[in-house]
Amino acid sequence: MVEAVKRALNKISVEHIKLELLGTAYNSSSTFLGRLDPRMLLIWYLFFAITPWFIYNRTILLGMFVFMVVTTILSKVSPYIVFILCLGLVSQIGWMFLLSLFFGGGAESLLPMLTLTLKLSVISLASITVFSSLDPERLSDGLSALGVPDAFAFSLSYGYRILPTLLEEFHQILLSFRLRGQRPEKHGFLYLRTAAYYLRILVLVFYPLMLNTAKRSRTTVEALETRGYTYAVNNPKVKKLRLSYLAMQRRDWLFVAFTVVYIGLLFPLGAAVPNLLY
Amino acid sequence: MSTLKTRYTLTQSQKMMIFVLSMSLYGLSNMFTELIPSIQLGPIELSVEYFAFIPLTLCMLFHPLYAAVGAAVGEVIFGELMLGQFGGLGELEKFITFSLAMYIAGRMVSDPKNRRQVGIAAISGVAIHQFCSSVIDIAKVWVGVEELEAVQGLAESIVIIEGVGFLNDVLFSGILFALLPTMYLVPRLYGKIEPLLGMKPRERNMQYASGSKSWLSPKLLGGAILLALIAMGAELLSESGWSIGEFELPGAESNEGMLIWISMLAAAVVAAVVLTVILRKASRRRQEAGQLDG
Repeated sequence: MVEAVKRALNKISVEHIKLELLGTAYNSSSTFLGRLDPRMLLIWYLFFAITPWFIYNRTILLGMFVFMVVTTILSKVSPYIVFILCLGLVSQIGWMFLLSLFFGGGAESLLPMLTLTLKLSVISLASITVFSSLDPERLSDGLSALGVPDAFAFSLSYGYRILPTLLEEFHQILLSFRLRGQRPEKHGFLYLRTAAYYLRILVLVFYPLMLNTAKRSRTTVEALETRGYTYAVNNPKVKKLRLSYLAMQRRDWLFVAFTVVYIGLLFPLGAAVPNLLY
Repeated sequence: MSTLKTRYTLTQSQKMMIFVLSMSLYGLSNMFTELIPSIQLGPIELSVEYFAFIPLTLCMLFHPLYAAVGAAVGEVIFGELMLGQFGGLGELEKFITFSLAMYIAGRMVSDPKNRRQVGIAAISGVAIHQFCSSVIDIAKVWVGVEELEAVQGLAESIVIIEGVGFLNDVLFSGILFALLPTMYLVPRLYGKIEPLLGMKPRERNMQYASGSKSWLSPKLLGGAILLALIAMGAELLSESGWSIGEFELPGAESNEGMLIWISMLAAAVVAAVVLTVILRKASRRRQEAGQLDG
């Protein structure tokens, strides 16, 4: 326990976190799925995010799951994210199982929950596949082509632009707080003192940061307005021009066709062999 | 626009500034909270759920609607999309509950200098959010597991897990990361941060000038209830689809495929309805808000 806390604390150096964050956020994706049409991918995702909730046939769910695993591999998702996902699913279902044993259930209570796990993993793998393989620009264009408010598209690009600056500033303020403050002499029970010290600083840092960010957001909005942002957003012609590069190509149609055929074959199979798995 | 007559109406740029401010600050904090390790004590997880004090503070100091929506957008962008953990439609529910809770908390404060009021609002904002998300989580399992009653003890265990999670989130991270920092920050920032955005501080018991018309709470609540009803209706539909099928055509293999297609169709219809409702709401909100994005 103490070791784990120690290791975790060693990992929290702001410099380290900064590198990690920037690495994840700006990791450019040039995968097969990333080159597909974003609108098509988003609709594809919607299908796989909604239908599993209404399917109780395990063979179909299993087939969908296999398909999702293949697309996840194709999109070269970082293993860290997959690990986190698995951990979350396993721990959630595990605790539910243990508690239902406590309330007098048996091993048979595991099966319906396994179905739930299958559903949840199809849904989360679909979202990981789509959203980690689309780069931010294509994602925001796809969303705004599908009618999501432009504020979201703006925020997405702004977020990517401003993140390094914000992190830098955060780090500066944090360092100055540490310079002026004093670390606890002893780590205390379970490193609680040190943890409390850092968490307190982490909260305090936001006081100057709020004031600085307020100034910055005023500058940003003023710069936007001088460049005619409001006009551009409200003018449908501008939007059309901006999105004109989106087009369904041959590989998009192939991908759609493959999905439709696969899912189409899955349903008769599921009806014929409903208990392939268990 | 009637901005010139009423004193406390915000201009479009000011709304946008609040939105950008709230989005970038809460987004940044979200990146950190995603990385802070949590301590597991059995099913109880002591974790820094989120830095709720940031949106709470901003909602109390500025117009709560723009601050709340901005914070929710910031969470989606910084905490999910940029870290590659975007959950897709699952985030929608978080988005709605979170902005609703923060908005309500912001509306509860009429005098930002009154510490007691600020504290009560902060803790109730967290409680509302956590309660809504617990209820949604429970409902998810009920929809997702077919024969819930058949499994002994499953229903009770879900409720217990969610209840413990709720208490932990409200009592641990709610007090440490929402109540105390908000009570510290709000009176301190009041009157200092507003001039930086070129606006006057909120005055005591002031009414939001655009309040009477675009006061979104009833509409937002209505929308939330509607969405919940749609979700429940979808669940009942799929359930009844199955049982009717079994009742009328016992053991008819060929019809099972049909039924699957029927429930798929139902799912598609539900999805379409939900999407149109959301998009309508978004555009309506945008119009009412005098276009947040300008």
